[in-house]
Amino acid sequence: MTGYAIVLASEEIERVQAVSMIASVAAMSDTPVEVFVTMNGLNPFEKAAVENMDFEGGRVAQAMMEAEDVEVPLFTEQLEQARQIGPLNVYACELAMDLLDTDLDDYVDDVFDDVLGVSGFLNRAKDKQIIFV
Amino acid sequence: MSEQIEADVTVDARGSACPGPLMDLIGKIKNVDAGTVVELLTGDEGSKNDVPEWVEEAGHELLDTVDEGEYYAIYVEKS
Repeated sequence: MTGYAIVLASEEIERVQAVSMIASVAAMSDTPVEVFVTMNGLNPFEKAAVENMDFEGGRVAQAMMEAEDVEVPLFTEQLEQARQIGPLNVYACELAMDLLDTDLDDYVDDVFDDVLGVSGFLNRAKDKQIIFV
Repeated sequence: MSEQIEADVTVDARGSACPGPLMDLIGKIKNVDAGTVVELLTGDEGSKNDVPEWVEEAGHELLDTVDEGEYYAIYVEKS
């Protein structure tokens, strides 16, 4: 086993933040991480969602948005920072994008490495511990 | 009375919530030479416990954690 392959299929901002936090710190500590963003997991990555801070979520999401004395680093910033420093790759799911009729330009910059199908992901996940969120 | 630690470089992550301070610290340590003493300033309560965990796992040396009242100063020497 060499690192983690994380499937992010959820759109709740708490789950997205949790995946981004774990993936980022692991990669920055030189543990290889592959993140496959699929299904509704793609929604929070849309430019419009990030610009408007328009996310699904519950109590912690609300606390994040309302935090005044601390700045909570958003998942986009975490992933962007970690990708520059450690072995972290983030992929957008080709199938979901086909269904949504979107392309990489619809999503925030500097987060996705590429579009990937399920076979591509499984190849990259072959030697890794898989975490499904 | 403990000796005052002199840092070579300071990472000011006050005002940033977890895991911001840890990520900022990791990013800085990766860019400095072995033996460099990095001072992390953080007001985040979680960092006080999380940073030492990371330092131990990464093999660096935790020199001290100083409670400055409104924030902590955590001193790490890169191995």
